[in-house]
Amino acid sequence: MMRDNRSKALPITISTLIALGLTIFPLPDVLDALRPDFLVLVVLYWAIVSPQSGGLALAFMTGLALDVIQGVVLGQHALALVLVAAWATNLRLRLRVFPLLHQTLSIFALLAGYQFILFWVDGATGNPVTSFGRWLAPLTGALIWPVLAGALSSSHER
Amino acid sequence: MALFRSPDTSGRVTALLLRTVLYSLLALGLIIVDKRYDQLGKIRQYLSIVAYPIQVAVASPFQGWAWFRESVTTRDTLRADNARLAQDLRVAQFKLQRYEALEAENMRLRALRENTAGVTSRFVIGRVVQVDLDAFRERVLVDKGARDGLFVGQAVLDAGGVFGQVTRVGALNSEVILISDSTHAIPVQVNRNGLRTVAVGTGDSAMLKLPYLSTSSDIAKGDLVVTSGLGGGFPPGYPVGIVTEVKRDPAQSLADVTVKPAAALDRARELLFVWLKEPSAPPPASAQPSAAVAANAPAAAAALASKAKSKATAPAATKQARAPSPETAASPATAGSPASAASAESAASAASAASPATGDHP
Repeated sequence: MMRDNRSKALPITISTLIALGLTIFPLPDVLDALRPDFLVLVVLYWAIVSPQSGGLALAFMTGLALDVIQGVVLGQHALALVLVAAWATNLRLRLRVFPLLHQTLSIFALLAGYQFILFWVDGATGNPVTSFGRWLAPLTGALIWPVLAGALSSSHER
Repeated sequence: MALFRSPDTSGRVTALLLRTVLYSLLALGLIIVDKRYDQLGKIRQYLSIVAYPIQVAVASPFQGWAWFRESVTTRDTLRADNARLAQDLRVAQFKLQRYEALEAENMRLRALRENTAGVTSRFVIGRVVQVDLDAFRERVLVDKGARDGLFVGQAVLDAGGVFGQVTRVGALNSEVILISDSTHAIPVQVNRNGLRTVAVGTGDSAMLKLPYLSTSSDIAKGDLVVTSGLGGGFPPGYPVGIVTEVKRDPAQSLADVTVKPAAALDRARELLFVWLKEPSAPPPASAQPSAAVAANAPAAAAALASKAKSKATAPAATKQARAPSPETAASPATAGSPASAASAESAASAASAASPATGDHP
């Protein structure tokens, strides 16, 4: 856990790029609404495991990338990701020792918070998304968290 | 670095708080500047160049698969395709002959009313990049951008009808909002009776709504809805959709009208980016050719009137007759020298003198 930061740079970069790809990977409409926020999950994972090398800076940069790719107002995802990542970093010592169910519920809360910030910025900038579909993503995201966290931890812990 | 050594101390938390506030303010600043001042267009263009490889990489398996399937099609399939396409082309050309005559007549009539607005002048074909932008917004990414001259607000069509308009232009790619996005509205009219209204998106790519029609308005299932061209964003007369359902609740003052889009909003691959002819565009020809064409116009009209039966000569004649009409309409606005103004006037009178003759023949 407290190993050299340098060794984390590669897994962080690769996992972030893969998550970015998964975020824009074309899916049928039905699945698209259920698509978990892969990028948020990855950013949260690194904010919890290694806030020194994958903390708020990572959250800000990936958020900006997402803003550009999705063509929304610049800074929206950056703001949401930074706030949620900070929250996760603050909670990380507790999150690490939580049992799996607890951890999943906490991740659900974090993802819901992320969606709420997006929702709020959407409304404030005058193009609200009115469907309830967007609140499905935190649910699927929380469900996929144990798998994702397991895969990510096996990628950098020997 | 000393702060990070012991993660549990309050110093660590304070540092975290500080950085959180810093980054949040930065993001909020970006949001406000982007929303308010529209100064970030250039920055976004450059950032989108950086993001484009990721989008292309994600889309490449799909394009690769399409290419693979295309390259392994058998000779029989190609021959069948070829025969079908030749047939289609013949039908399309047949229709086009009629269309050209109609367009020429339309232009002449418009020239009489000094109104040539909303005629498409040129177009560019773009391909949809196979990436999902946002699950709850109806937008697509296209592989044409500022380099190809695209601009924000440009009308986008596909083979079936109106598709949407350009919302954001990058250097290499651009974003198109579909007419079915819930924040999109397009001025339309019913083709059957010219009833004007607005079609708004629902967020569902299979339907649009006409929410501003009263229960007594003359609209029925099966009506074709076309663009009206009001507002100038879209060329007039292109199909938007077919009315699939009209619900009239006597308790409500407005009818509930559902329209099925004519464009293949959820599966179109090639899109048409359209430039409208500016109503006050300066004519490309100088005074000399315009006078020559003006002399041509009555002759062409006469040819049209006398030789209307022969299909081979009719399109050629209409092409000649069509040429002067935009100029005659545009010249009052752009009369540069007295000579050109005079000749333009003579052209206008010649055209208006010629058009009743052509108007008589059906």
